[in-house]
Amino acid sequence: MDKGRENPQHRWLSFAGEPVDDNTILIQRTLRSGQKVHYDGNIVIIGDINPGAEVVATGNIIVMGAVRGVVHAGAGGNEKAMVLAFRLEPTQLRIAGHITRPPDGQSSKPEQPEVARIKNGVVTIEIFNGERQG
Amino acid sequence: MGEVIVVTSGKGGVGKTTTTANLGAGLATHGHRVVLVDADIGLRNLDVVLGLENRIVYDITDVTGGHCRLRQALIKDKRFEGLFLLPAAQTKDKTAVSPDQMKALCEELKQEFDYVIIDCPAGIEQGFRNAIAGADKAIVVTTPEVAAVRDADRIIGLLEAAELRDPRLIINRIRPRMVRHGDMMSIEDIIDILAIDLLGVVPEDEMVVISTNRGEPVVQDERSRSGQAYRNIVRRIKGEAVPMMNLDEGGFVSRFLRRMIGLS
Ligand SMILES: Nc1ncnc2c1ncn2[C@@H]1O[C@H](COP(=O)(O)OP(=O)(O)O)[C@@H](O)[C@H]1O
Ligand SMILES: [Mg+2]
Repeated sequence: MDKGRENPQHRWLSFAGEPVDDNTILIQRTLRSGQKVHYDGNIVIIGDINPGAEVVATGNIIVMGAVRGVVHAGAGGNEKAMVLAFRLEPTQLRIAGHITRPPDGQSSKPEQPEVARIKNGVVTIEIFNGERQG
Repeated sequence: MGEVIVVTSGKGGVGKTTTTANLGAGLATHGHRVVLVDADIGLRNLDVVLGLENRIVYDITDVTGGHCRLRQALIKDKRFEGLFLLPAAQTKDKTAVSPDQMKALCEELKQEFDYVIIDCPAGIEQGFRNAIAGADKAIVVTTPEVAAVRDADRIIGLLEAAELRDPRLIINRIRPRMVRHGDMMSIEDIIDILAIDLLGVVPEDEMVVISTNRGEPVVQDERSRSGQAYRNIVRRIKGEAVPMMNLDEGGFVSRFLRRMIGLS
């Protein structure tokens, strides 16, 4: 899961192959321990996902804040889904059928926005440098 | 009309009862009329902390059940003028009081007191629901431990869901030396997750235990750091802007001043 950090180079992201996706909800608060959100589409959160909270989307998950709980993008099998966050330090991160967790005993604090998605069959985390997406 | 403040935490043993007793005594020292309500039914101990156990005749369930008038159940504190206690029942279970009864009780108490402070039981079940039913404001107490912070976060979520907005945080039992060595969560770590206003920080202090066992709230102990911390919190509750005290030479205080400014 940490591999992608070695190569912070920008890559074009694919929004699940679709130029526009109108199936999106906006959550304007922090999700706290014990709170869960499931949505059939994309989820945008302005706030944090705290430890003990869980967010599941069939599409992408975008968090303008810290992800510390459990996130699952592409639930239902979309391998092109991604998780993007200002601070990506999840308890567990899942994309489609891939389940990952941070390595034990290593608490690297991300300093900039990062994006997690599947590359060559593995969940990869890279610095998100904020350029416009295709 | 007074305000009802519930002191809650999620996790047990983090200092709710200690906080309730000290805030009550502190506010009474400032000349306010204060009543402390022990909502921890079945596990009462606020009376013990205040040294009032031997004066209990009626309790909260006698009031809500109509077996006595509210005035009869209120116990006058022996030291602090204007401080009263409504004790919990020791024998009955938490379902002995309903949220509606609690609400009505708080309404009645608000007419007579400047501050009604409710000592909430641990957990997120009925006892918690009862304790917050009549509250206008909430204080969340946590210790610098991952599990306690997690439970505090859960509680803040439930308070928000119950429309009890803007709870304020007390971090209890902090040990600056452990924080400095990276062996304890720092104030900053905790606020980073909980993201609510900090009302105060109380250091780990054996005087808390000593004074509690004597039935004398530590807030009146002029020399102890915990007493000073509680006195500061009392003034912040009254709306004064009191800077955070320096728990540690060259410590972490300045970083939190930014957060403290909007607090009053
Ligand atoms: N700042 C502190 N320093 C040392 N001991 C403390 C402090 N705060 C609380 N305690 C002790 O911790 C124990 C639990 O506190 P209490 O107020 O009863 O917690 P709660 O009501 O949340 O269960 C008590 O023995 C109390 O004396
Ligand atoms: Mg207690």
